[in-house]
Amino acid sequence: MSELTYISDAMKQNTFYILAGIIGLVEVGVFWFSVRYMIPYLITGAFIVGVLLLYLAWRRITDRQVDERAVLINQKAGMATFMVFWVIFFATSLGGAVIGLGAPPLPHFPRPPDERPSGINESIKPFGDGPGLPNESIRPPDDGLIRLGHFGYLQLALLFVMFFLYVGFRIYYARKYGEWESDEEQD
Amino acid sequence: MKNRIKVFRAMHDLTQEALAQQLGVTRQTILAIEKGKYDPSLELAFKIARYFNVSIEEVFTYSETQ
Repeated sequence: MSELTYISDAMKQNTFYILAGIIGLVEVGVFWFSVRYMIPYLITGAFIVGVLLLYLAWRRITDRQVDERAVLINQKAGMATFMVFWVIFFATSLGGAVIGLGAPPLPHFPRPPDERPSGINESIKPFGDGPGLPNESIRPPDDGLIRLGHFGYLQLALLFVMFFLYVGFRIYYARKYGEWESDEEQD
Repeated sequence: MKNRIKVFRAMHDLTQEALAQQLGVTRQTILAIEKGKYDPSLELAFKIARYFNVSIEEVFTYSETQ
């Protein structure tokens, strides 16, 4: 545990960072493509593939230095992030549950036309006095999917909160365990 | 926990970097231990003592006030 871990194979730490940047840019491009053509599975799959590629590249880094103090800092930061984040996540989920409980019960079965409230059961007449379109031929956008998409914003916001929490705790514990201490041997 | 690593390093004319390489840790870890910011694991403490060929009590001193 206290020994430095040198992984054999050929990749420098800086090369890994460059590769990570390139993969990140590709992911942004794929995200744009997914939004443009409404293919949600594309970015989902691309993100998983990107993370796998990064993991494989990370394993090939030759000059990675990990010792017991670095491991301790990571563990402490990870645990502190978890302890704070679950409270935020639980509170947010409770709020979401309240919205869900206040919503009309699912699923929504379409009612026969004669049972629909007046005002909705009207044909749409696009031009003048021409024949109207039966309302069955007009499909409203899938409201459930759109709401699910909006839920994604919340999830992303929570992930960013988690990320910033981790970075904050990482800095805190690194400082606590002497990461930026200096002395006469400082370069 | 107090320690005398700096003293032993001076006696052996060793830099932090050289000692870190011998022990398989980073220089920053040696610095953090010397400054009392980080208490090493038992394994690393024994390695340090063994490297200087002294007992672990000669290098590390437990202090209640810490």
